[in-house]
Amino acid sequence: MEKRSSLFHGLPFPTTPVLEPPSCCYSGWRENVDPQKIAFLLRKQWTLYSVTPMYKFSYGNLKEYSRLLSAFVAAEKQKGLAVEVGNDLGIKVTLSTLLGLKGTDQDQVAVLVQIASRSQLPFENAENKVVWSGWFCCISGDDLLESVPEDFTCLSLFLANGAESYTAIVGSWFQKTFDCYFSRLTISPLNLAWMAAMWTGCKVDSHMAATELVFSVPCIPQSLDISYAIHSEDAKALWDTVQKTPGEVTQEEVNLFMDCLYSHFHRHFKIHLSATRLVKVSTSIASAHCDGNIKVLD
Amino acid sequence: MDETVAEYIRRTVLKIPRCQIMEMLTMWEFLSKTQLQTINVHQLKERISQAVVELCEVITSIVNDQIVSNSHNFVFTISGIFSCITGEETDSFNLADFKYKFKRSLRSALKNVTINFREYEDNAIWIRIAWGTQYTKPNQYKATYVVYHSQTPYVFISSLRSSIPLLCQALVHASNYHDIHEMELRSRCIDSLKDIVFKRYSQTFQTYHPRPLQERNVAPEKVDPRIIQENKREKERIQSVNQEIFGEGLQPKIEFAQYKLETMFKGEPEMDILTEKEPFRCVVKFSSPHLLEALKSLAPAGMADAPLSPLLTCIPQKARNYFKIKERKGILSASCLGP
Repeated sequence: MEKRSSLFHGLPFPTTPVLEPPSCCYSGWRENVDPQKIAFLLRKQWTLYSVTPMYKFSYGNLKEYSRLLSAFVAAEKQKGLAVEVGNDLGIKVTLSTLLGLKGTDQDQVAVLVQIASRSQLPFENAENKVVWSGWFCCISGDDLLESVPEDFTCLSLFLANGAESYTAIVGSWFQKTFDCYFSRLTISPLNLAWMAAMWTGCKVDSHMAATELVFSVPCIPQSLDISYAIHSEDAKALWDTVQKTPGEVTQEEVNLFMDCLYSHFHRHFKIHLSATRLVKVSTSIASAHCDGNIKVLD
Repeated sequence: MDETVAEYIRRTVLKIPRCQIMEMLTMWEFLSKTQLQTINVHQLKERISQAVVELCEVITSIVNDQIVSNSHNFVFTISGIFSCITGEETDSFNLADFKYKFKRSLRSALKNVTINFREYEDNAIWIRIAWGTQYTKPNQYKATYVVYHSQTPYVFISSLRSSIPLLCQALVHASNYHDIHEMELRSRCIDSLKDIVFKRYSQTFQTYHPRPLQERNVAPEKVDPRIIQENKREKERIQSVNQEIFGEGLQPKIEFAQYKLETMFKGEPEMDILTEKEPFRCVVKFSSPHLLEALKSLAPAGMADAPLSPLLTCIPQKARNYFKIKERKGILSASCLGP
């Protein structure tokens, strides 16, 4: 396979895909999605990676990729083990598409990779249990999609759940096979603030957990963490007064929302939260950590 | 000997690293020198622990007392947190009387309970209680520890559980106090709690001169004149204010503080927001390996105003780190209402 990585050295590929406001993203996701199919995505912690465009990835070859990847994973897992050749560890990898999980219609269809392992114990049911999941999806970045040459598939976000060793193996296979590159995605405080505002504004039917923001204070000898949890109804009430147009979120509104929270805090404690670092955001919808971990609850 | 106690000793010995076993057994002081000599530390650990248990069989009564001491020697990470309880007193203290009354009170309510006492030099009485139920033996692994300084009206209790009312009742009865109530002060470090309630930290006093006195005859520092210190005055002001509030010495070590806020939301005047009649409910938690030192360093680092809010600085004086703040009519409430 020819190497095409040099093509991307000049391009200003975003290392942190900008997450679009919820309106188009969320409503798009929720309408087309079969709730049963994506139920497995919920209540799991996903680690985020940024992926460069993949060369000569074809949706038609998913079965072939499953076979190749299965063999690769089995081989990697057996490295260093004194195991007879041909001994089946019962690992099976499947690649499939996840319909409906796209931001806009132009986006590529999401791809799901799952590693299932057959139980080693003789008396247990020989059912395959999923031990690791990862999925690629396309974050709508219209500008980038236009500039991507043919033969390249742009699935720029990868989410992994499961053992780190499996993530490394799957990642290296994709990197070798499609000449792409995976890198850990960190979430900036700016994006975390967006998530806090957006998720607070979402209406949830079931019991609403508090909106919690966790700040880490830098530059002092002893580490200090501040957790600021606001009652969900009160946080939503505040956001509703800030947000002017339903279905649309602007940077100014997010800033105002955060500034309100900061000033309420300052009034009591005389501490400037704006000088600290927002590291984690948690609501009843989802939670996100700056290290690049997210968990969707609803 | 009780088999759960035997098992407990066996497991405890197994946990000790081989090189420290002899040292530990000597420290426990309930096996004599000759008995210690019979133990071969080079055999399998299971055999060692079994040998210890067998030797202990002989001295059943003393073993019970020593369980308290061994748990103290082991990196006493009191799993759980100590909570301060205070009471109102009457007369002088009699140790034997206290022990008797305490045991009797607790045993009358609960048959299955193991109680051990241990006294230390600084008038501290350590009580170890392993709780059981009507049908089960006491669970030796989840014991509650109580530290009582007989000369003070304070009791420190680890791992709060549902058996607290029984425990408090026994304490009140045994110590001849009228009443006992829980303080809103918790920490992993019992010495810090003691420092706070016994006022052993360096306290601050109001200074008459707000500015430090000028020193005379000080040789000027040889500093490059091109270097200018920005905001020198402001920095000095912050330092002196900080010093006034926090004092000179090391702060008592606490790990967290929690504030339940139920005040009205009031943003800046230009924020035309949320003129609700309902309070803006939030819970703020501060956590740090050494919270007070971290708070002290905030203003000099530029992340907080000096003086820092009294809500934070009152922690040692008020001896509490759990607060509920409600709105006071008109003015911002810096007072802490009761639990």
